[in-house]
Amino acid sequence: MIDSLYIAWKYLGFNKMRTATLVACITLISFLPASLQLLLDESERQLMSRAVVTPLVIGAKGSSLDLVMNTLYFGDEVPERISMEAADRVWDTGLALSIPAYVRFQARGHPIVGTSLDYFDFRGLVVADGRMLAVLGECVLGARAAEGLGLGPGDGLVSSPETLFDLAGIYPLKMRVVGVLQKSHTPDDLAVFVDLKTAWVIQGLGHGHEDVTRIKDPTLILERTEANVAASAKLFHFTEITEKNLESFHFHGDLSSYPITAVIAVPKDAKSGTILRGRYLSKEEPCQIVRPEDVIDALLQSIFRIKNVLDAVISVVALATVLALILVFALSLRLRQREIQTIFKLGCSRMTIARLIAAEISIIVLLSGLLCGAMIFLVNHFSNDLVRMLFIR
Amino acid sequence: MKSEKTSPFGTGIFLCSVVCVLATLSCPPPGAQAEDPDSSLITIYTVNYPLKYFAQRIAGEQAGVVFPAPADEDPAFWSPGPDTIGAFQKADLILLNGAGYAKWVEKASLPRSKVLDTSAEFKDRYIKVAGAVTHSHGAGGEHAHEGVAFTTWLDFDLAAKQAGAIGNALSQMRPDLLDEFQRNFAMLARDLKDIDKSIRKIVSKNPSQPLIGSHPVYDYFSSRYGLNMKSVHWEPGETPSNEQWAELKGILSNHQAKWMIWEGKPMQASVDKLKSAGIGSLVFDPCGNAPDQGDFLSAMRQNVENLKAAFP
Repeated sequence: MIDSLYIAWKYLGFNKMRTATLVACITLISFLPASLQLLLDESERQLMSRAVVTPLVIGAKGSSLDLVMNTLYFGDEVPERISMEAADRVWDTGLALSIPAYVRFQARGHPIVGTSLDYFDFRGLVVADGRMLAVLGECVLGARAAEGLGLGPGDGLVSSPETLFDLAGIYPLKMRVVGVLQKSHTPDDLAVFVDLKTAWVIQGLGHGHEDVTRIKDPTLILERTEANVAASAKLFHFTEITEKNLESFHFHGDLSSYPITAVIAVPKDAKSGTILRGRYLSKEEPCQIVRPEDVIDALLQSIFRIKNVLDAVISVVALATVLALILVFALSLRLRQREIQTIFKLGCSRMTIARLIAAEISIIVLLSGLLCGAMIFLVNHFSNDLVRMLFIR
Repeated sequence: MKSEKTSPFGTGIFLCSVVCVLATLSCPPPGAQAEDPDSSLITIYTVNYPLKYFAQRIAGEQAGVVFPAPADEDPAFWSPGPDTIGAFQKADLILLNGAGYAKWVEKASLPRSKVLDTSAEFKDRYIKVAGAVTHSHGAGGEHAHEGVAFTTWLDFDLAAKQAGAIGNALSQMRPDLLDEFQRNFAMLARDLKDIDKSIRKIVSKNPSQPLIGSHPVYDYFSSRYGLNMKSVHWEPGETPSNEQWAELKGILSNHQAKWMIWEGKPMQASVDKLKSAGIGSLVFDPCGNAPDQGDFLSAMRQNVENLKAAFP
């Protein structure tokens, strides 16, 4: 048998192109369904694990998928804004813990998540290096965001403008990194967390500037009366919140009218959750309440339907490939007729010839198996990132 | 074959070793100490002294109440550092006065689930401070930076409501201690009501009497007891400037006050100069920070005694 394997190995080595093509065909046809299954399993795990632990999400009426993807996975599609009043409303019912979320801005490609400190307790996020948010203008980085950006406590991070051409828009805010979170293997690892009020400062709703009532430069003042001072557009707004200018930062109007993208509601018990859901059933209600588990489940059902189609396509391709392989071997045998005749005349039995061909096929299948195994190992190793790259973000 | 004889001494050492090993194994690991008797204590952080006092009175031995502002600071304008804010974040309950008291709260990150705004129930009774200058710039239009008076607890009816809010929050946290909290709150409410009654009785002798407040901290006090009071902005530990005296003169021209109410012991020079102008001085300490001696109740009782001088 060893002799047959040796001769088959030498033969395959001599016909490199043919061998490589056969190995590639078998590898691809076995790798595709296996890797697809792996990625789908991982995406299901990632999506469902986070959805299951997030009981209820409240947001503007519209796409529930956008709402859940933005709130749970910090997706790029920003849902319609609701106001902080929605979070207060949940709070006032006493039925659930209300965690507001404002996921709209980015900093160097990472989502800025404006929320309250209750979010960290809810998700079990712990500061690994530095400290938790304390005052306006500070941010805490997810573990992989910190790695990717090469930032740590004490560094600065500037928010990205929403549009490049918004020259008259709000200045980006330079945030101070005060902490890095422990790795959680969730989308939180890639996020930049700020207090909700800091997110509003990024939007320009809160700002800091000189005390206009004490300004001496007349070019900064449009009109001054006893009751009001109107400043010109030249008035300098601070783009970084420091200990010195923190006092000057302020918000105008009622904070309950300020925007957020969603409210994560954590009911005290199942009954409270049901009562709370019941309060959002009215047609006039501007907000919707969704169970992320249901939304993600529906999404996965769609994905699985697509997967079934893909599986069918792959099966047909696999069948065609197998037929092509049989044809290749059959033609190959015909081409090698003289060679087989010579072996036969040398005194080898038909069985030996069969063993030779079987050894060739075995080596090709083995090589394909090894290659396929290696590729699946890689996909499995990077499945977390691949899923995040291909499906979630 | 040679048999080895075990000595009694060797057996003793072996048994001792076994006992030691068993004793070590039976000891709990360092992280799993026997239950800490203080672990059930509720940790409460407050932004001013009156709230600390109320919380201590209601929670009794069941809570550790911390008011971290230094003794020489006005808690209304004091700003804690990140470490102190971190300590606030870790507390079980954070008591805010509301009405814009402790400006740092607006700019700090505090877990909402632990924060209790003790005056939220009577937001509609906040007193707006007149004379604020608005400003406008950019697309936001005109913005009013109007202030709200924040010394709510000097209206002892409101103080009782703030204490009630604390009592409710504590009862929700520890329903097993509901009776104790309710009993303690009832006693505190009675004390506050007594002070309220005493002040009403004193003021009723001459409610329209013009008074001057040395600091604009008596809005709720004036409102509750119907005082005819106007305020200047003097510090007890500083000599008033000529402008401040001129401002007082302007007020006195149509508000003939005979008494100035100070938030702290004034400088003798100020007292003398006021006396020469026919104005007496008395102290009504709002107790935003802890008094040098006694507690909130004794300080307020002393305030009541001091107030009698103005209403003979």
